[in-house]
Amino acid sequence: MASENQWVIASALVASLFLSFGIARTKAGRDFAAILQNSGSWIVLLIPVAGLAIGLALHEEHFALMMLATVLIYALACIGLTIQFGYAGVINFAGIAFFGIGGYTAAVLGGMGLPSLLVLLAGGLVSAAIGCILILPVLRTKGHYAALITIAFVLLFRSFLEVNHTLGGPQGLRVESATIAGQSLFTGIRIGSFEASFYLNYVLLALVLLAIFFLMARFLEKSWIGINLDSMREDPVGAAVFGVNVAYWRIMSFVIGNVLIGIAGATFAMMQTFIAPSNFTFQQSLLMLAIVVLGGIGNLWAVIPAAILVVVVPEKLQAISEYRFLVFAILVVLVLRFRPNGLFPRSMRNFRKEVGQ
Amino acid sequence: MAILLEYLFNGALLGVIYALVAVGFTLFFGVLDVIKFSHGDVLTLGAYSGLAAFVSLELLGLDLPVVSLIFVLVVAMLVTGLAGIAIGQFFVVPMRGSPAFNILLMTLMIGTAIHECIRLFVPGGANPKAFPTLLPRTPIEIGGAYIRLDSLLLLVLGIGVIVVTNWMVRHTKLGLAIRAVAQDGDTAQIMGIPFRRVVLATFALGSMLAGVAGVMNGLYYSEINFNVGVLLGVIGFSSAVVGGLGSIWGAIIGGFSFAALQTVWVLFFPEMSGYRDVFAFTTIIVLMTIWPTGIIAERYSERV
Amino acid sequence: MSKLFSADNVSVRFGGLQALDKLSLDIDEGTIIGLIGPNGSGKTTFFNAVTGLCRTAGGQILVDGEDIAGLHPRHVYQRGVSRTFQRSRLCLSLSVFDNVVIGRQNALDLTLFGNLFRRGRFIESVRENHDRVRALLSTFSEPLAARTFDPLHTLSMIDRRRIEVCRALIANPRLLLLDEPSAGMTPDETHEFMSDILKVRGDHPRMSIIIIEHEMDVIQRVADRCVVLNFGKKVAEGTFDAVVADPWVQEAYLGSS
Repeated sequence: MASENQWVIASALVASLFLSFGIARTKAGRDFAAILQNSGSWIVLLIPVAGLAIGLALHEEHFALMMLATVLIYALACIGLTIQFGYAGVINFAGIAFFGIGGYTAAVLGGMGLPSLLVLLAGGLVSAAIGCILILPVLRTKGHYAALITIAFVLLFRSFLEVNHTLGGPQGLRVESATIAGQSLFTGIRIGSFEASFYLNYVLLALVLLAIFFLMARFLEKSWIGINLDSMREDPVGAAVFGVNVAYWRIMSFVIGNVLIGIAGATFAMMQTFIAPSNFTFQQSLLMLAIVVLGGIGNLWAVIPAAILVVVVPEKLQAISEYRFLVFAILVVLVLRFRPNGLFPRSMRNFRKEVGQ
Repeated sequence: MAILLEYLFNGALLGVIYALVAVGFTLFFGVLDVIKFSHGDVLTLGAYSGLAAFVSLELLGLDLPVVSLIFVLVVAMLVTGLAGIAIGQFFVVPMRGSPAFNILLMTLMIGTAIHECIRLFVPGGANPKAFPTLLPRTPIEIGGAYIRLDSLLLLVLGIGVIVVTNWMVRHTKLGLAIRAVAQDGDTAQIMGIPFRRVVLATFALGSMLAGVAGVMNGLYYSEINFNVGVLLGVIGFSSAVVGGLGSIWGAIIGGFSFAALQTVWVLFFPEMSGYRDVFAFTTIIVLMTIWPTGIIAERYSERV
Repeated sequence: MSKLFSADNVSVRFGGLQALDKLSLDIDEGTIIGLIGPNGSGKTTFFNAVTGLCRTAGGQILVDGEDIAGLHPRHVYQRGVSRTFQRSRLCLSLSVFDNVVIGRQNALDLTLFGNLFRRGRFIESVRENHDRVRALLSTFSEPLAARTFDPLHTLSMIDRRRIEVCRALIANPRLLLLDEPSAGMTPDETHEFMSDILKVRGDHPRMSIIIIEHEMDVIQRVADRCVVLNFGKKVAEGTFDAVVADPWVQEAYLGSS
């Protein structure tokens, strides 16, 4: 790709992002957000429809499709993080570690010839199970201390991978690509004259996963559980006095979140067909959190544009790719300082439609 | 026996560096109930500004070891102190009242910005840099063990700085104000203590300790890199937490405990020394499960 | 009338401070007790001890004969003890409905399966609970009942107090603890709010209430009996008039006024 071309695409991306942030603050933008928030479940179909349209349009572009799949996978992981601290207020700085656990599970189990969908599920479950080791300390401690435990865990995880030779040490492991219904996702789809990159397969897989879990997370938010999570996040003591089982919901949200992050990690590993400890640094964990914070803590829809911003822009705009951590660090600092609810703040849950008001 | 002594000595030196960082965390937490996670990267900044000071002395053609050392330390402390004040003034103090998570994440990101700036804008910043040898490396024999003179001096320097800090907090007017704010910020304000100034002074003081720790770390390993602060920050924070956030003695004990954990692991499993951080952090996590508020805080919770 | 609740020699200690010193207190079903005493006399500490927010250093707290001292706040709530806080502990970012309905923990379906996969049933239960919340709110104020999906931070002080009381009432508790409900209200609002309390009492004839209050006319108007605390000890007990006449109370609390 010519460098001028790159600049055009990059500036178009940046412009459209800023435009959408701008629109989010206008009346029309708020109406649109209200539609996304209040419409029935069918609105979630927007994700696979739009994703499929973009995927088909780009069906020959390996790199662009890989970016698209990466965005979707990161969005899935960030929905897990949103459940954890957007809803339940459980701080998890070890997002990338659970993502990595999913990936390494896929590497180990995929090599044994298990069905790929089972491997994905196993990625989620193993990551949740290992997360359970952290639950006791996270529950016993509050705020800063819980944060420290997850930070210590992500550093520990990385050093563990670096020195553990069964898991490939610093060189990492090869991962079997997924095979679903006899069809290897490593070969692109061919129908007549239509030939697609194999990344399109992963775009489709990620779209399906994202749509399902997005819908589940939406239901979770708009449920008795969602109300419980919100109230214990805002005031754990007050919630306990009114009968909310705070410890139980902390555990549940941590586990559910880690399942999603683990599944995302397994998908990512299968797509890349290779993972190494250097993918799972503390910096990466911070980038994942940046997606959630920049979008708007607790706002599911905001995760998608924020994931595009964090994943695609630095890749497309090579001038800043070297500076990506710096740029996003500064962006997050500014957002937290001046607009702590994020660029697209979460809107309040209501049941107006359900009760016919 | 001799080897044991060497291990003990190196562990003590690491402990002093960790304790210096931990005391900073404890001071910030004391006055403002916040964790300023950029602390580790402020340390890196200190190390690099010390290096820059040395390089500029060299360019001027001055080669006086003692003067260089003092100049390097002063510059490092000046830069880190100012950085501490700036972070406090523009980011942490205005965020008082936000959720703890927001402040934690924000300061983490400030730290990231600092070390990314070093990586990107310092010539050759992405690679480890040699740190000058400013202290004589003569080996000294103590009971059959050989200990480098510079390490001994560093140990003395670190302990001295901690003692002076402790004395300042306990016996000076500033220390009194810091302790008053730590007890109850609002009341201290009513009693006429300039809250913001005390907080910023605390940030300066804590960050200067990080500056000293950064230079010490550079002198000890003869090398610095842009990433050193992340791990040292987490270690310092762990030490402060395990000791009991808010207590200076807790921070010191925590720092030495962490170094002891690492040293013990290397001592017993020399062929698996790569796992020393895994072991140390796992132990910290277990310790925190047993004592969620730290070892010291519960028993005699004397804050700062 | 039967004895619903009794505290027997309850003590609470904070370090060297004896916040509650062998306090004993009984309530019959359907009565209102006014708990009075100067700041720091241990009134709120007593509420905290009952609701499991602070540890007791001795004594029993009996609800229907069962000792609830040392139980987790959640379990205390399940035994029918509910409260409000002096400084409101509502969730400002949530709607009125969310804030009130949280009190119905035991009646809500909290399974993952029920919430995620039986959406039809969930929506039905939303309707049912919404009707309940509205009905409860409208006993306090009709305009408030129409605002179930307004964010809480848009409400006035008195409406927030009402929400707190509604949240405490939604599960039909047997014992309601009101911690200085008039704090931060204008005299008119206080007056209105007391009428609400009396209305609540009329609607729940078997419920007992303990109310902490500094406004003496409030206590005079609503309380059947008063208990006076000072330095964590009970210094007087009886009808409002008897308590006010007590020389101990004159000295310890009411002063010369």
